[in-house]
Amino acid sequence: MILLKFCWILIIINAMTIGGGFVMLPMLQREFVEKYHWLTNQEFVDAIAMGQITPGPLTVMNAFIGYKIYGLTGAIMAMISTYLPCIIIVTLVAKYYYDYKESIIVNSSFKGIKPAVIGLLAAVAISLGKTSLVDPYTFGIAIISFAVIAFTKIDPTFIIIGAGIIGALFL
Amino acid sequence: MSLKDIFLVFLKIGSFSFGGVYSMLTFFERELVDKRKWITHEEFIESVALGQMTPGPPIVNTGICIGYKLKKIKGALVTTVGQAFTGTVLAILLAIFYTKSKNNPLLVSIMKGVGAAVVGLLLSIIYKMAGKTIKDYKTALFALSAFFALAVFKLNPIGLILAAGILGLIVYGRRAK
Repeated sequence: MILLKFCWILIIINAMTIGGGFVMLPMLQREFVEKYHWLTNQEFVDAIAMGQITPGPLTVMNAFIGYKIYGLTGAIMAMISTYLPCIIIVTLVAKYYYDYKESIIVNSSFKGIKPAVIGLLAAVAISLGKTSLVDPYTFGIAIISFAVIAFTKIDPTFIIIGAGIIGALFL
Repeated sequence: MSLKDIFLVFLKIGSFSFGGVYSMLTFFERELVDKRKWITHEEFIESVALGQMTPGPPIVNTGICIGYKLKKIKGALVTTVGQAFTGTVLAILLAIFYTKSKNNPLLVSIMKGVGAAVVGLLLSIIYKMAGKTIKDYKTALFALSAFFALAVFKLNPIGLILAAGILGLIVYGRRAK
């Protein structure tokens, strides 16, 4: 039952969110952490980090979460539930590309969704910040990581790994 | 080109690309357009656009679209598995290690640093997305309302996305005609 529910949540979230892996975080946090308590906030932050340091799409973090909840089966089912909706939707859209691209319904609803997801993501950043930023050191790491990723072209993967090394040495 | 060739190229793309969207797209273009000439530059641009306006991760969707152009539904499947394969295997290995040594003090210290960096990463993503998307008072209002609805009123984010879509339709739909 947990596995089914878990897959269903992933399918819904992946079929509904526009704009990339990060945009899914508010939904994932609400369902997995706050509603079903399958993960703690800390584990959720760790999962994001895992998605970021592994190559390929951020969404492989769902395999990490799936393993945590339901072992190897959970991880594999997580990947299927994450990418199956994409395959179905994208192949359909590719067929009717020009109708879809010109569709007023699609375009105008996306115009509302795109800024809204930024607000949602900001709310999640605050909630995760309350868990992860506990002293001046962690605040410092967050500020440096923000500045480096926002204003330089350095890959976030190196920042996360660097912060892990700093953690191992000083925290 | 065979399905196996397509799989191998996407496995390469998925295995050697980290974080940044733009580095990944350049990688795509070099492998598929310049080196192999499987698709034209225009087809590539179209696939990127399609990846961005469909639900789910845009890069994966771009790959699915290219796979579909090359070999229909089988191509779409193969590009997805190829792109996600290495990351998924590594994520599972990390998960096994993580669940086994969760209370190891060294891992706790490492994750303390990492967690703080993730918060910084999220803030930079928000900063970049806001720069691209929030252009006038209407878009700002959408973002702010969504923020308060989730941060203060704890409304369900899935419902909020639906509501934003419907409001977008009301606000922008009429003018488009």
